[in-house]
Amino acid sequence: MADRVADIWGERTPFGAGEQWPTRVDQYLVDGVAEADVEWVQSACVLCSNGCGMDIAVHDGRMVGVRGRAADRVNHGRLGPKGLYGWQAGNSPDRLTEPLVRRDGRLAPASWDEAMSLVAERSREVLAEQGPLAMGFYNTGQLFLEDYYTLAVLVRAGVGTPHLDANTRMCTATADFALKETFGSDGDPGSMTDIDDCDTIFTIGHNIAETQTVLWTRILDRLHGPDRPRLVVVDPRRTKVAREADVHLPIRGGTNLALLNGLQHELIANGWVDREFVDRHTVGFDALAETVAEYPPERVAEICGVPAADIRAAARVIGTSRRLVSTCLQGVYQSHQATASACQVNNINLLRAMIGRPGCAVFQMNGQPTAQNTRETGANGDLAGMRNWQNPEHVAELARLWNVDPLRIPSWAPPTHVMQMLRYAEEGSIRFLWIVGTNPAVSLPELGRIRSILAQDRLFVVVSDAFRTETTELADVVLPAAMWGEKTGTYTNHDRTVHLSERAVDPPGAARPDMEIFLDYARRLELIDQDGAPLIKWHTPEECFEAFKQMTRGRPCDYSGLSYDRLRGGGGVQWPCTEDAPDGTERLYADHEFNTETGYCEDYGHDLLTGAAHERKDHAAMAPAGRAVLKTAHYLPPHEPPCEEYPFLYTTGRTVHHWHTRTKTGRAPELAAAAPRMWVELSPADAERLDIVEGDLVRVESPRGRIEAPARIRGGRDGVVFAPFHYGYWDLPDDAAESNGGPRHVRAANELTITDWDPVSKQPLVKTAAVSVTKVAARDAASAGGRVREEPGGGAR
Amino acid sequence: MNLDKAVKGVLDAEAELAKRLVAVGERHAAEHDVYYLGHTLARQAADHVTRLTPFAERYQVGAAPRGVGEPPGILETVRHKGSQLIGRSEISGVLLLRDLRETYLLAQQAEIAWVILQQAALAVRDSDLLDVVTACHEQTETCAKWLRTRIKETAPQVLAAG
Repeated sequence: MADRVADIWGERTPFGAGEQWPTRVDQYLVDGVAEADVEWVQSACVLCSNGCGMDIAVHDGRMVGVRGRAADRVNHGRLGPKGLYGWQAGNSPDRLTEPLVRRDGRLAPASWDEAMSLVAERSREVLAEQGPLAMGFYNTGQLFLEDYYTLAVLVRAGVGTPHLDANTRMCTATADFALKETFGSDGDPGSMTDIDDCDTIFTIGHNIAETQTVLWTRILDRLHGPDRPRLVVVDPRRTKVAREADVHLPIRGGTNLALLNGLQHELIANGWVDREFVDRHTVGFDALAETVAEYPPERVAEICGVPAADIRAAARVIGTSRRLVSTCLQGVYQSHQATASACQVNNINLLRAMIGRPGCAVFQMNGQPTAQNTRETGANGDLAGMRNWQNPEHVAELARLWNVDPLRIPSWAPPTHVMQMLRYAEEGSIRFLWIVGTNPAVSLPELGRIRSILAQDRLFVVVSDAFRTETTELADVVLPAAMWGEKTGTYTNHDRTVHLSERAVDPPGAARPDMEIFLDYARRLELIDQDGAPLIKWHTPEECFEAFKQMTRGRPCDYSGLSYDRLRGGGGVQWPCTEDAPDGTERLYADHEFNTETGYCEDYGHDLLTGAAHERKDHAAMAPAGRAVLKTAHYLPPHEPPCEEYPFLYTTGRTVHHWHTRTKTGRAPELAAAAPRMWVELSPADAERLDIVEGDLVRVESPRGRIEAPARIRGGRDGVVFAPFHYGYWDLPDDAAESNGGPRHVRAANELTITDWDPVSKQPLVKTAAVSVTKVAARDAASAGGRVREEPGGGAR
Repeated sequence: MNLDKAVKGVLDAEAELAKRLVAVGERHAAEHDVYYLGHTLARQAADHVTRLTPFAERYQVGAAPRGVGEPPGILETVRHKGSQLIGRSEISGVLLLRDLRETYLLAQQAEIAWVILQQAALAVRDSDLLDVVTACHEQTETCAKWLRTRIKETAPQVLAAG
């Protein structure tokens, strides 16, 4: 097989509209293992939201490789570089294999009983002293559905605190909220097969080529096949995706909403609106038309810094499309006016009646592979089963299912978002925080602040993870967790495809699956239902899945027709899957009836500018009753514009070879070698002005901190500095990590980012901050410690 | 005709609201959303005053409120610094709840002042004024609604977790 680190998307298999995407099976086995010697175990990839079906190769009780599942509806056998190589992290010698407890300031090995007794004891103390609102739980987008659901029931109905969120807040909270605002509930309406059928693709703030490589392979195969779809790309950087575009709009960071309003201005002004559809199936058109009337292309061109003619050209492509797929991701979700902008992407498809039929879809894309499940189980900012926390009947229904008093379930306000939880910890009202499988000491904004909050003596921090991370070093107790391949469970990708992943090997040492850790905790806290029986009734993942299924019956994410047996073999099933639809449902809203009935909807909606929550009476007065809601808002300038002292706009993002804070990908040799070290990216003109050449060491500074890294010169917008957010401190040599005996925090991109979040989705904004740039040392001096390596993908956003 | 009283009622209420939003944003700068939205909504309230100014002339209102919508002055800077000091203290929540509650009441005062002005504008058939009233009234209602949302989220933590 070709070196798929360099050849990221693999060989082209072009196909035309309406044809089946050809199968291409990608496989990787470690050297010295023959295919005949391995046993294949069914699974799916957990290294991006595409969730490609894959099998794990097992030999002698160890994972030795992977292959794509040819029959899987998502990938037709393909795998990306992270999928092919990332699994090796599980075999890494530095896995956490025993619990650690802080003694005399140092983390020391302990037994499970010692560690869990301490966690339970501290929980009981805090609960007795301050009650459930002093307890916080922050988890991830990496667990399985069964882990999440166990955690959700434990926290919501057992501990009884609203303070449960996931790092999906950083990643797809805006997708979740934009879907709720427009369609009444979460759940991406479309199917991956819409790529096969479409004639136009519109993508904004979404570097598909690097974030979802196999999805991009599918798109590339259409772009290189007969009847190539037209492609409109909005991205400040000239990405691989932008290079394939018919129209590329490299807009100024933080101006998405102005551009999207401008595009809708053109759709309406040119009559590219399906009025019959809009009148029959939407509400809010008049207010939307009134707002976007103020965004003619010339004004938008001035705000966004792109030519008016290009805005018109983009609108024409979208406006004359017959089958339109639109997508967005972090360039929208992590930027200024996130939810407001994401809703406009929904609007564009609604104005064009491009939803619910083949080739017509809007994807509020996910980032993490199991993010969808945090949302469905309520292990993040939602209530389980896509229920509405403001609807007492929904809460009562959950209380019946869990056999607890409805008052037990916190529903007086929305579930608390992580930035607010950290604020409560900062002011001292949260005293216990359990962090599960995520690394906030690298991934959250303004890291100096995050470290100082987590390091407080008055806050008891528990971290469960598979490795020591920057965050475990701030913990009081560290619990070793099993990873993917070492436990059984299910997860759901961004087109609602559910996969089963079987346990292939045993976890190392004493590491345990997260669900088992939560069950142990629930037992120790003696959490009971209203009849005195244990609150959580299941012991195995399959029993948990069965309970979850019942909980989703009749809700948008209905799993009631699924089972582990149904998911074995085959190629994934899309929810809703019920007795009436036993093979799942390819597209939501095929009948153009949306989930906006007041008694059924997941959320009553918000004002997009302030996040003011609408209440039941507001929603009933609007009476969408099955129609989609066209939401609108005016553009406002970002909160921290560049200024004299900090003249550059700072934006952070991803690169194709890494995942989050590299706890996994940094331990896969091929991926680590492909992108071994931090860098920052400047435009050629800016670099020349500052006398910086490729490889020079530069310092980037914001009001909150500074970082130092080698420069890369790329053809981005002038005045913009890009930094990948993956790099922290765990793998730095000691001399680079410390100076004068103290830690040097000058590598992680989030040292500089701003503490600010979207008012609706509460997603932190890590794509708009002001920074200064200075040269520290010339290339030779800078690279003395290691070669500055060219990377094939460049950077991603 | 006493329409000037209705115009002045709105001008005073919105000016007061703008000032308070800035002060509260600065005092609670450690609450990042209160800081940013406080300033955004203060600019909006100041904009309401500007949009009503032609009608202050039309209906011969005396001196209009001054100093609305100016950048934070020395007082705000002091408050901002103070926020950093009390941001880590357990009383910061109690102060926040009190300030949000008082700001909510000011927003409600502004809201009802718009209702009164709207009624008067209808009676004198001033359609220019009605256009302004309709747009601004809705924004002021939303401002109050944001404060209500924020208060509902904050109150349990301040009152039950102490």
